[in-house]
Amino acid sequence: MKGYAKHTPMPSKAGRRFMIGLDVGSTTAKMAVIEGGEVKYRITSTHNWGELVEGIDKDEIISTGYFRNSVPHKASVTEITAAIYGAGHYFPDADIIVDIGGQDTKVIDTRNNNFVINDRCSAGTGAFLEFVANYFSIELDELGKLHLRANRIPDINNTCGVFALSEMISQLVGGYSKEEVVAGMHYAFARRISSMIPDADTVVLIGGTVKNEGMVSALRSILRRNILIPEEPQIINALGALKSYV
Amino acid sequence: MNVPKTGITALVPPEIIFACGGAPFDVNNVIPASKKYPRNKLCAWTAIWKEMLVNREIQIDSLVVVAGGDCHNALVDGQKVAMSGLPTHFFFYPFDGDPEYLESQMYRLTEFLGSIRYPERFKEVRELKKLGRMIDDRRCCGKISPAEAFSTLISFSDLRGDPGMFKRTIEAIREGDFELDNRVALIGVPPIYQDFHEAAQSLGLQIVFDELPYEFIRHEGTDIRDTARSYCNYTFARPLGLRINFLKKELDKRKVDGVIHYTQFACHHMLEDEVLRKELDYPVLTVQGDLPGSTPQQIKLRLEAFREMLDRL
Repeated sequence: MKGYAKHTPMPSKAGRRFMIGLDVGSTTAKMAVIEGGEVKYRITSTHNWGELVEGIDKDEIISTGYFRNSVPHKASVTEITAAIYGAGHYFPDADIIVDIGGQDTKVIDTRNNNFVINDRCSAGTGAFLEFVANYFSIELDELGKLHLRANRIPDINNTCGVFALSEMISQLVGGYSKEEVVAGMHYAFARRISSMIPDADTVVLIGGTVKNEGMVSALRSILRRNILIPEEPQIINALGALKSYV
Repeated sequence: MNVPKTGITALVPPEIIFACGGAPFDVNNVIPASKKYPRNKLCAWTAIWKEMLVNREIQIDSLVVVAGGDCHNALVDGQKVAMSGLPTHFFFYPFDGDPEYLESQMYRLTEFLGSIRYPERFKEVRELKKLGRMIDDRRCCGKISPAEAFSTLISFSDLRGDPGMFKRTIEAIREGDFELDNRVALIGVPPIYQDFHEAAQSLGLQIVFDELPYEFIRHEGTDIRDTARSYCNYTFARPLGLRINFLKKELDKRKVDGVIHYTQFACHHMLEDEVLRKELDYPVLTVQGDLPGSTPQQIKLRLEAFREMLDRL
């Protein structure tokens, strides 16, 4: 798997059939191609999705994500189907796929064609983590690093994102460090997601939030299953959109 | 002649209300297009009819609340309506299906409504329900659109207050040819969205079975005794095992490819989801609605993903 630098020219189309997978989600846009058997990708913010398809014809794009029908495309698939094909590229025997996105979390049981989506509440979504990072005035990707420095893990029981933040503030007042409160928040987040996950041997985690090692560590300790994470979990749906078509 | 209008909150035998000289009015039917956001709610269905009735935004002369054997939120919200001064009666189905208990409930209902003055209306309604079952059959063969069939079948709870006019409406339905490439059953309470069947259809899912509206056309009788012996098998009021066995037969008969289980936020039927998923040997999509209006995008995403899933099988 290989990421393109932001301004790297797109791969050449000369003399072969050229298709890309384009995932325009709530916060980021991702494109993936398979070139010489290798997966290559680019990531940008949702509002700059156009830079991912410069010079690419509509008929060469298979789209997915929230904006799948708003961007040029030859065909589109939902994120659920894209996740199944994308995760299957790396882990063909995966039982469960958990896609933790910016606005929702999807749990797909590939064994019996079932899926559940949590989008009524922010507590198990990337939006909640952003909310917390915002409160501490730190970048989103610092949350995972803070977690790894925690000595204790306070209980944060609230299932509502907003009230969970109130509880975190109470823990700070009570003497827990910022690192410890962030770790407690990751555990609360992981418990919320784990309640959606059925019994299974292997669970594949995908989505941008999976890059947060604190959250993954909490999920590992709660789930106690074989957890698999692709090298670049954020581009799996873009890859899956492509693979669902070609 | 001034026909008293009797509101009903769930399945109350409309033949009895007509036979007592009244006209039933299913208060749920105004909710999907109501644009109401009720205060102090659990389930939006009961909360909205409660609020509209307390504020007299629905014009009825009395209310019959189905409080036993189905909706427990209605038991409380119905009492709030009663306290607002609207004559209200509580109707209970037996969990064990005892026909004599149900017969006694039906006699109490006739006392609340006055008395049976037009016994011939039992047969009139029974004939109309035959037409309803014909609509249901024709929809299952792709001759009537799922959305039009639903809008007709859901009206069988109150026959739109006028069996004669309703019959003419049904007879005016024109048949066509509708592709049924993904035959889906819709189980649970009806969706609170006004365009759910259209949304499913536009995303490639054709609903060929509506569980609750099917109950509206399934039960009938020519007198109270007879009617009690049919309605005592109203599946929503009975043990889950009986309902599941009934569903298995209907789904098999209709050769469905998948099942959509619609659940309503804060409705106890949501607790049945895991059992239904386990017992019904079909791909099952569970969706949950809350407030009325058009089908939201999040639900459409689930429908579309479900269709993609069925396409892959």
